[in-house]
Amino acid sequence: MNSPTPQFVPSRLSIYEPIHQIGIWGENFKRNGNPNTSTSLIVEVDNKLENESETTSHEMLAPTNNYEQEASKPIDKIQRRLAQNREAARKSRLRKKAYVQQLENSRLKLIQLEQELQRVTQQGLYMGGVSEGSHIGFSGTVTSGIAAFEMEYGRWVDVQHRQICELRTALNAHISDIELRILVKSGMGHYFELFRMKSTVAKADVFYVISGVWKTSAERFFSWIGGFRPSELLKLDPLTEQQILEVCNLKQSCQQAEDALSQGMEKLQETVSSTVAGGPVAEDSYIPQVATAMEKLEALVSFVNQADHLRQETLQQMSRILTTRQAARGLLALGEYFHRLRALSTLWATRPPEPSLP
Amino acid sequence: MQEAIPYKSYMAATAGGRSRLHNFLEGAGNGGEHRLVANGCENSVTKLVVENAVIVFGRRGCCMCHVVNRLLLGLGVNPVVCEVNEEKEEAVLHELSVINGGGVQFPAVFVGGKLFGGLDRVMSTHITGELVPILKEAGALWL
Repeated sequence: MNSPTPQFVPSRLSIYEPIHQIGIWGENFKRNGNPNTSTSLIVEVDNKLENESETTSHEMLAPTNNYEQEASKPIDKIQRRLAQNREAARKSRLRKKAYVQQLENSRLKLIQLEQELQRVTQQGLYMGGVSEGSHIGFSGTVTSGIAAFEMEYGRWVDVQHRQICELRTALNAHISDIELRILVKSGMGHYFELFRMKSTVAKADVFYVISGVWKTSAERFFSWIGGFRPSELLKLDPLTEQQILEVCNLKQSCQQAEDALSQGMEKLQETVSSTVAGGPVAEDSYIPQVATAMEKLEALVSFVNQADHLRQETLQQMSRILTTRQAARGLLALGEYFHRLRALSTLWATRPPEPSLP
Repeated sequence: MQEAIPYKSYMAATAGGRSRLHNFLEGAGNGGEHRLVANGCENSVTKLVVENAVIVFGRRGCCMCHVVNRLLLGLGVNPVVCEVNEEKEEAVLHELSVINGGGVQFPAVFVGGKLFGGLDRVMSTHITGELVPILKEAGALWL
């Protein structure tokens, strides 16, 4: 820019443009609807206007010169100046609005990235501490199966959060039972979707599912055979007398089923343990023991599937016992509970470090 | 319970020089399960199914089988458990399929002489509350 007025240093955000550039600006705004591109928008406008600003800056900063030199048309000049001023102010406001919008979006993105980083760091820390080479040396299909699951699960959590908000709004707005029923059905279907996802990745690496490394730390604390305890579902009120009886029965059945599965898991541990420990220790060969143990471990996949099956059945039985409204409240409570557990995990991960002991 | 299973004398009669069913009775440690090892003798399996209100067939050392047994025991049922050796697995499965008129997988639960299902069915019927009435009707449970 060849401006001979050194005191006027145009910055990106304070260039004054002549009126006929408005059209181009408006065009840019329409084309680039996404405020994230507003920097490029400003750049575009910059490039178009560099040639024009010299003349206008002259006029803006030295009105008295103009007034003296062209006294024959003072009114025209004044009018033009005022109009340009208005335009400039308007442009400035629009630019400010775009800038603020961009800032807001960047802020949101930053929060999301931080959360993502938290989650990945936790997983990385956990896996690093678990065993030597937990994911090193796995076959390509296993790691890709796990990677696919992690992506899907991330989306699942987002959808879950959206559904919870919808449920909450719906319950507060007192919508009809029919509409509520739709929400309940999709909520339950969403859980069933998770069980299907888990079943697929369990075939790739069952230890991954059971370890709960795909969940946040607080959720992991409550983990039972790769997920939540089905009996967690049964904390509900108010209920009619008939319902109390039915829920009581369900609670008992659930507990019995959980116990049976837990005992089965214990037996599996014993079996695998004795298989691995078996055979003469004096000899250096342990391949047969380890190979046999591997076969036995395949049962673990069945356990994960059975546990999820139990979760699914319990959810369905609950929806049979409860009214639509109760079921909606139950789903909301369940989803909110896990949401809070995740928040607890994030809070825990970001707690201030303990002072080192003297 | 340490008493002999009623059909023991029946078994001696059908032994016929082929294979024999060995009965291993477990004591209080397993809560009174009757544990058997099947050798796939021709009609022995069918007899077991017919003679017992509830019988569970599974591979030896199968943990899923253990889960089914624990669940049934928890309900107050005295399930007869038949552990099938690997060599005889195919024969036993075949005979069970004949009884059922269709495919059978381990672990398999037979109630009242008919195939009830696997662990899946036991779990779902237990949760919905259907299992106990079915067991009572078959005479496996009484209050």
